[in-house]
Amino acid sequence: MNELLLNLFYVLVFPGLLFCILMGVLLAGLDRVWVARMQRRVGPPLLQPWYDFLKCCGKETIVPRHAKKAVYFAAPVIGFVALMTISLFLPVVKGRAAFSGTADLVVILYLLTLVSVCMMVGASATGSPFAGVGLSREMVAMISYELPFVLVILAVSRVTLSTDAVTGLPLTFSLQAIMEYQEANGPLITHWSLIPAAIAMLFVIPCEVGMHPFDVSEAETEICEGTLAEYSGPPLAVYKLTHMVKMYIMTALFCVLFLGGLSTGILFFDVVIFILVCALLTFITMSLPHAVCARFKTEQVFKFYWTVVAGFAAVSLILVWLGL
Amino acid sequence: MLPYLTKAVSNLFHKPSTEQFPTGDPPKAAEGYRGRLSYDPEKCVNCGMCIRVCAPQCMERTIEKLENGDQKITFTFDMTSCTFCSMCADFCARHAITLTDDYMIVGTKPEDFLVTGSFVKKAPPPKPKLTPEQIAEMKAKAEAAKKAKAEAAAKAAAAADNG
Amino acid sequence: MFEKLIDNSMEKSPWIFHINAGSCNGCDIELVSVLTPRYDAERLGFKLTGTPRQADIVVVSGPITVQTRDRLVRTLAQVPEPRVVVSLGSCPRSGNVFKGSYAIDGPLEKYTHVDVSVGGCTPKPEAIMAALVQAAQILAEKRKEMRK
Repeated sequence: MNELLLNLFYVLVFPGLLFCILMGVLLAGLDRVWVARMQRRVGPPLLQPWYDFLKCCGKETIVPRHAKKAVYFAAPVIGFVALMTISLFLPVVKGRAAFSGTADLVVILYLLTLVSVCMMVGASATGSPFAGVGLSREMVAMISYELPFVLVILAVSRVTLSTDAVTGLPLTFSLQAIMEYQEANGPLITHWSLIPAAIAMLFVIPCEVGMHPFDVSEAETEICEGTLAEYSGPPLAVYKLTHMVKMYIMTALFCVLFLGGLSTGILFFDVVIFILVCALLTFITMSLPHAVCARFKTEQVFKFYWTVVAGFAAVSLILVWLGL
Repeated sequence: MLPYLTKAVSNLFHKPSTEQFPTGDPPKAAEGYRGRLSYDPEKCVNCGMCIRVCAPQCMERTIEKLENGDQKITFTFDMTSCTFCSMCADFCARHAITLTDDYMIVGTKPEDFLVTGSFVKKAPPPKPKLTPEQIAEMKAKAEAAKKAKAEAAAKAAAAADNG
Repeated sequence: MFEKLIDNSMEKSPWIFHINAGSCNGCDIELVSVLTPRYDAERLGFKLTGTPRQADIVVVSGPITVQTRDRLVRTLAQVPEPRVVVSLGSCPRSGNVFKGSYAIDGPLEKYTHVDVSVGGCTPKPEAIMAALVQAAQILAEKRKEMRK
């Protein structure tokens, strides 16, 4: 009984639903305010993303005539649930995750892909040509950031040198093991060979979230919001929420992979510091490029990620495998 | 890229350059701004020049006959039809039309956009009625004048013959 | 309670969709300037969307030309309720200098109910701002009526 309640608490309140939504709204609001301030505007109120979400909930949903109705409604929900599930695997505070397994990094990788795939499936179910263009662009973006992302995870998983229980290889995909290693030897970002990987990961975050310079799939001026072209009302609200929570999930993943293991010993301070670091990461990886850059072309995104970012990740991977 | 980056970060510590309009008073328009028309019916002489020069035909003139023979003339200017070219104001001989600097032409009903003005054009005073004696007198006077003229003409002709 | 929250946020996050129905581009530029740092409509929650499906306020500029008429009607039909239509500038309400042209099939009232209009050729950004704020209030009222 107690365990059930605890699990419910995990899923619904602390690393799960409520905390994710709160953090997502906070980070998205901060991002919008910061971008506005960097352009010398006043900017929207901090809760603007929350208002947007509520307003979308109150709108009528028009299902296009050619749409597959079931997929149209199911896709955003599945994507959101997949994203929520990731939050349970992240050992956010004191190195404890709600659930942990031997290969949670791989699960996280798959679930993150599932979120994008759900978006694509939903877009293709609407039958709109704009959504079609958007989904093909989303695919290209996904291929672009997936390679450096996997390289970064390979580098990180190698560095702990603990043997995997299933495969017997000297790499681990367990976040628990990585956190324990960081608690013993300091955060991974202090390992000089992993600094290129951290830089690559910083570049992966905005593209994974779909923030401004890399939002090729949702280019609102060229292809009418792309994948979201035919969505309105509550399904759109779920997509917007997914987008917000993804900001939190990606920054938290960076914290866990590279800045883990530090603790003041008091839970409250740990949570506050974690939130501040997430906000800082949001500023560096999302707000700054958003305020400074114009949107990339699709092929520019692909080229950038497969040369520069993948290059950084590969350098780190080689250094780590050489044992440096 | 780097100069933009530093500019963006330094902007974080500057005051935003936004006008505080919807909370405060609307700022004044620039000098010479052509905004909402103002029409002074006291000065208008109903020459109709403005109607002739108006390209979008935003003016409407209605002439109402009153009981005592006067005319009530109403000019209606539709601000959602106006292109604010100031042609009417330039051509108005009596400067009855001017363009103000009021640019807040916002509304939900068609009446919010109408500028109207009306004035009464007095009919000319009626001719005084004449009595029959007066008419007879006038007729006699006219006849006498005719006679005198004819006599003068005859005299002149005789003088010419003699000459 | 959730419905109340939605009602309150309706006014705070109106998204704009802009239709150019044969406009001379003057009003379009002024509408975009409303979103620039000087006027910054985003501080009131306004945002320009790219698709009519996500719009709350539809801003129409230009006299309705014959070429754009069918597209305009189709686009307006794609906007989900509650929606507010704003006519921008003199053209949509009357045709302005194009009045009487064979290529014009206006005014906008023929096709939809216009909630707020801005006069001017072109209107100043402050006037557009005032109209959008008014439109947002009408949007919230419409939502409350829809719920009843």
